[in-house]
This record gives sequence, structure tokens and C-alpha cells, in this order.
Amino acid sequence: MTAGASDGEPQRASAGADDAEVVLRADDLKKTFRLGFLRKRVEAVRGVSFTVRRGEIFGFLGPNGAGKTTTLKMLMGLIFPSSGRAQVLGRKVPDRQTQRKVGYLPETPYFYEYLTPEEFLDFAGALCDVPADLRKRRADALLTRVGLDHARGRPLRKFSKGMLQRIGIAQALMGDPEIIVLDEPMTGLDPLGRKDVRDLILELRREGKTVMFSTHILPDVEMTCDRVAIVVAGRVASVGRLAELLSPRVLSTEVVLKPALTGSAASGSVPALPAGARRLPAGDDVVVELPADADVDAFLRAALALGAVVLSVTPRRESLEDLFVRQAVAPGSVAA
Amino acid sequence: MRRIAAVARNTFREAVRNKILYSLLFFAVALIVSALALGQLSVHEERRMIRDVGLFGVDLFSVLIAIFVGVNLLYKELALKTVYTILPKPIARWEFVLGKWLGVMATLVAQIVVMGAALAVTLAASEGSQALDSALFKALWLLLMNVTIVTSVAMLFSSFSSPFLSGLFSLGVFVVGRSVPDVRALAERIGGGAADLLKGACAVLPNLHLFTPSGTALGGQVVSVHGTFVGSGYLAWTTAYALGYSALVLGLAMVIFRKRDFV
Repeated sequence: MTAGASDGEPQRASAGADDAEVVLRADDLKKTFRLGFLRKRVEAVRGVSFTVRRGEIFGFLGPNGAGKTTTLKMLMGLIFPSSGRAQVLGRKVPDRQTQRKVGYLPETPYFYEYLTPEEFLDFAGALCDVPADLRKRRADALLTRVGLDHARGRPLRKFSKGMLQRIGIAQALMGDPEIIVLDEPMTGLDPLGRKDVRDLILELRREGKTVMFSTHILPDVEMTCDRVAIVVAGRVASVGRLAELLSPRVLSTEVVLKPALTGSAASGSVPALPAGARRLPAGDDVVVELPADADVDAFLRAALALGAVVLSVTPRRESLEDLFVRQAVAPGSVAA
Repeated sequence: MRRIAAVARNTFREAVRNKILYSLLFFAVALIVSALALGQLSVHEERRMIRDVGLFGVDLFSVLIAIFVGVNLLYKELALKTVYTILPKPIARWEFVLGKWLGVMATLVAQIVVMGAALAVTLAASEGSQALDSALFKALWLLLMNVTIVTSVAMLFSSFSSPFLSGLFSLGVFVVGRSVPDVRALAERIGGGAADLLKGACAVLPNLHLFTPSGTALGGQVVSVHGTFVGSGYLAWTTAYALGYSALVLGLAMVIFRKRDFV
């Protein structure tokens, strides 16, 4: 579904989370910067619309320079939109009341390097009006939760990139927010760290929080997000559930065979490839990729007749990566 | 109030963990203590020499620290992007600016207390405790009021300019501000359009000469830190002037900061 629908949202057939309260709303957000001595106009965001509903994990995808960070900064009140509306919990951004209910991790976060993690979390808590005794307890719990127990007392200047990312997530949670907005939370993390953050995001949803995060690491999105928006060249190209966005159509079928004969005679026990099919190198086994319109049954029958053993048959449907690439390389498909 | 206090506390903590400030403080104390040696060299002028050199040291270094910290204050938050973590929290931008200013002022109070204590100890070592008269403490108070304005001006420039330019502008304001009586006298002498320009500058820029009144005539009497110094009335109105001017300048910095995009 493209962003052409009323508020950039797809029409829904199912109930449940889809009917939930909208907690974040970007309504035709635009931002034009004027750069340099000649005040050259640069359109960073050209009309972004989407909504995030209570209790969901919302992925905000896009290639570098697509306008993701600028959009998030407009939602956080760090950048004023040139036009359009940014709303959090139904109130125009920035609003002190709603800021209490939002936790934010900026992209590649920088912190006061002379502080220890405990001091930094205490500072973050004080800014969120958390009473002193609760700040101490919450900071202790969060340091354990993000896996930084071992780094207590160490100044932030001695933290690795991954550790800074973790303390960044902890500071976003110090105010016990309802909504958590994370800009590229997986950046700088090793696979284990990424898994920890994914698990944390899922855990936050289980606690009833709403999480929105931007990324270009697609497997993380597939594993966590209820809905996604893909932003390309400053506009939303697609928004909705992954199942709705991805085409159910089979793009190709991969067949793996063990031929009856091996070595140079192996090709004699493999049926002729239909038009558009290709054989992929795979050691003694034979891997064939059949096009979407090929007669898979006929090919398998022919292979069995030649004495081959069919090891696997895998239909390949459109992945998020296919969709992402399709949207990113075809900006003409972006809804105006 | 809790949020402003948190920012102020953090700013103070940043300053006290900054090695450059300790170096400046070390040089200031060294200069003050060296006045003892200079005093020995001057005949019958030991007390005068120690007091003059000491107060000059406090004045010079407090202004240098105020400009150094003030111009870096907001710029560093933007350059290091620490502000991106702070401003989405429920803190108004003006609260952030005020908290930063209070943090610097706390730093400057601490620095002036340390430098003043060094001066007091030096004076007491030279002449005994009778040297610690009210003129000394009044002079230190005026120097604190002086840096209140200098810090605010530095923060104003820092809200839209680089530290280098902000430093230059702040230093310019300080030099002209200290020379207000001379600039006014010059304007009277030259007359014409240039005089109007100079008078305009004197009206807009802070009169920092008010905070080093020693040697000038006030109400027909020459005041001096070595003799009869200013009264409490003078202290009250110069304090009000310093706080009022700082509030205006800080308000302007807040307006500029409020309208900024943090790209």
C-alpha cells in the first residue's frame, strides 16, 4: 500500500491494534533547509505522513539521506517543520506535557563524557522530573537491563560505541515513557548487541509501550515490527503491515536435486531447464532457480524420472529487502 | 526548578572536571601570591602592591574564565550533539539556557572565592589580619558582578556563533565596556556623527567600568580600595545593574536558542 491513502495509511480489514489510539502523527511534514552563503534550498523532507498506534512497534525505514532523522527530530521538537503538523498524543510538538511521556535516543548519540553512567542517568531522570530516590533505583535497574553493570563508575569517555548506544537507550527509558523513539538503535552494535536491543524492544511492547525506531537493517525490522513506513527521498513510499506491503506472489522457486550420476555424467541426470531458469553452482548437488511462470511440477517429475533425488523445493516470495530496493530505486513510485 | 538545577549542577560538574580551568586557576593563584615578592621590591608600598596585583589577577582571570567557559557553553552542546538528548526531555529551552548560565556562575563564584582566599592569605601573611578590610570584599563582589555580565554576553554570542568569534566579540565588548568613561570623553571631544556612534555604543554596551571604581570620583570623593571605598548603596545599584543587564542579554540568548533548529 502506498502513501496515497487518506492519511498515508492503508485500509485495514483486521481489528485490534489497528483501531488503537494514535500516539504519534506526522501530517504532511516538510522541512527545507537553507544552506551556505547563498542560502541554497535543500528539501530534506517533502511531505511525510504516517501514524503510530499505541502498543505497536513501528519501523521507520529508508536509505541514507531519505529524511528519517529529520522527520524524527521534527517529532521530538528539535527541528521546526517548514509546513505540516507533528503531533504526540494528540498535542502539537513541542509540548512539555507530552515530552514527559516520550523517551528518545538520537542517532549516533553523544553524551557528557565526563559523567559516569550513574551520574548521566541521574541527570536524565532529573530532567524528566523523576524524584531523587526513584532516580537511583531506576538507574540501577536500567544499567542491569541494558547490560552495563560492569561499567558502573567508569566515565562515558571510556565507553565503546556499543556501550554508548546502550546507555543511550537507558537514558531514553529513565522517565518511564509510554512512547520510545529510537533513531538507528542498532548502529554500532555487534550481532549479540543487536539481539539484546531487539529483545528489549519486544519486551517494551509486552510492557504496553509503543516503540518507533528508524533503521536500515532490514532483518531487525522483519523480526520486530508490527508496521513499517518506508521513506525515500523525503517522502513516504509505503506504510503498513509487512504482510500487506510485501507481494504474496512467488517470484521464483529454488529446487535442490541430488543427481543419480555424479561428476561429468551428472548433467545427464538433470532435466532440461525451462526458459528463464538458471543453474546455480552448488558442489555435487544441483541447484536450479525456476522463474515464477515455470511449471515446477513438470520439472520435478522430469527430475524424478531421471533418478534424481529432490532435496528441497523453496518458493521465494518478495522480502522486505526486495520491497526496500524496489522503493529506493524507483522514486517515481513515491506518492506525492 | 529541578530541571534548571539539574542543568546547572551538570554544567558546574563539567567545569570542575575541566583541567584547563584548573590551569587558569593555578596561574591566577600564582600571580596573586607572587604579589608578595613584588611587594618586597617596592618601598613602603607593599600593601598597595599586593592588593593591586592581587585584584588585577582576580579580575583578569575571572574574565578570561568567564569568556572561555561562556563561549564554549552552548556551542559545545551543539557541536558535540549532547543537546539532542536533553531538549526532547520535558525541559524548556529557556530553562536549559538559564541552567547553563547558573552553572557557569556557580563555577565563577567558586573560582573567585579561591582566588579571593589566596589574596586574603597573601595580604594577611604580609600585614596581618587588619589588611582584610571591607574594601577588599567589596572589590571582589564587584568583580563577581563584572563577570556576571561578561558571562551573559559570551553566552549570547555562543548561541549563534563559533567559540572563536564569540570569544573575539566578548573580548571586544569587555574592552569597550571597561573604557566607557574614556569613550564618552572621546565622543565629547570629537563631536559630529562619529560621536553619536560612540555615544550609541556606550548606551548599548555594558558599562563595566562601574565594577572597578577604585581611583575615580564618586559623589565628589575619590574612592580607593586602599582607603575609603564605595558604600553599600553603590554596591546595591551596581548589583542591580549587573543582574538587570545580564537578564536582558540572557533573555536575548534564550530567544535565539528557542528559534534554532538542531540539525
